Amino acid sequence: MWRLWNSIIVLCFLAGLLLTPAMALTVKENYLFYCAPCHGIEGRGDGPNATPTQPVAPRNHRSKKEMSKLSDQDIINVIKFGGRATGISTLMPPYKNTLTEEEIVELKDYLRELCQCRGPE
Amino acid sequence: MLDGLKVISSVLIVYIFIATGSHVWAGVEEGRRLFVEKGCTECHTTERPARAPTFQEFLKEKGPPLWYAGSKFRKDWLRKWLQAPEPVRPMAYNSIKERNPANHPALDGKEAEAVTEYLASLTTDRVKRGIVKPKKTVRGRIIFEKKLGCYGCHLVRKGKRVVGGLSGPTLVGAGKRLNPDWIYAFLKDQNFFIPYTSMPIYVGIVTDREMRVLSGYVAAME
Repeated sequence: MWRLWNSIIVLCFLAGLLLTPAMALTVKENYLFYCAPCHGIEGRGDGPNATPTQPVAPRNHRSKKEMSKLSDQDIINVIKFGGRATGISTLMPPYKNTLTEEEIVELKDYLRELCQCRGPE
Repeated sequence: MLDGLKVISSVLIVYIFIATGSHVWAGVEEGRRLFVEKGCTECHTTERPARAPTFQEFLKEKGPPLWYAGSKFRKDWLRKWLQAPEPVRPMAYNSIKERNPANHPALDGKEAEAVTEYLASLTTDRVKRGIVKPKKTVRGRIIFEKKLGCYGCHLVRKGKRVVGGLSGPTLVGAGKRLNPDWIYAFLKDQNFFIPYTSMPIYVGIVTDREMRVLSGYVAAME
């Protein structure tokens, strides 16, 4: 009986490995993959999409001055719904169907680390 | 007399059908051989992977998958591009640090013909034919520019200028390069084609009809 339980546990573990979504990335991986093309690897707003032909420059995530104007919920809303729904540039796309709620909150925390700042009280 | 003519014409039709078909088949086989011989498989996959690579494995890939190339690309574009490859991606594949080195090997005319036949044979049923027609529409432009801001990551021609971001493949000349129905299928389910892409999922953000309009707009890009 014990052996049977062991086998079931091992099978469940293997099935879990196979069924784990391929997209489960760390917050840094998510930032580099989704955000850095515009905002830059270090978050300074200088990714390869920040070309002189763009109508606006991507936000510098290290700017304490700019980032402290945004509340945590503002940041979450921008990531989730994009610039168009939040009154900023339409070049910021919505990620609500690409990233999970948890990943979006992790990214918000990561941005707070980059700017070393908090939102308005 | 009339019956004789009918028989001759039938034989001719069958002969032409077989001759043309076998020519294409020979091209596919020759193309497959060349594809391996020229080392194309070092950067491109031509079979759908049995399992999705991990993210780290994916980042090591050096070129885009080609197992659906026949559904994605226009054949005449492939034939020309293989002989004079110009970078489609401004940045190196899977990189936001390095520019595309523009060093893709070129093939001669005969080789390009065969490899084109081979790549054109790599199709997927996921791309349904005849859904999208290339069409420059105001609605398509609004979705592209205002609603989704696609030029944030893709280069496009705007009048005489080329504007936009560099992280995605260029859309300058997309109409000559891409099959309109593939653009729609990709927008509908991008992860079927490629396990990881920084392009957001737009299903549920734009309607199915908007996706078709957008696909037609991109497919008309010069």
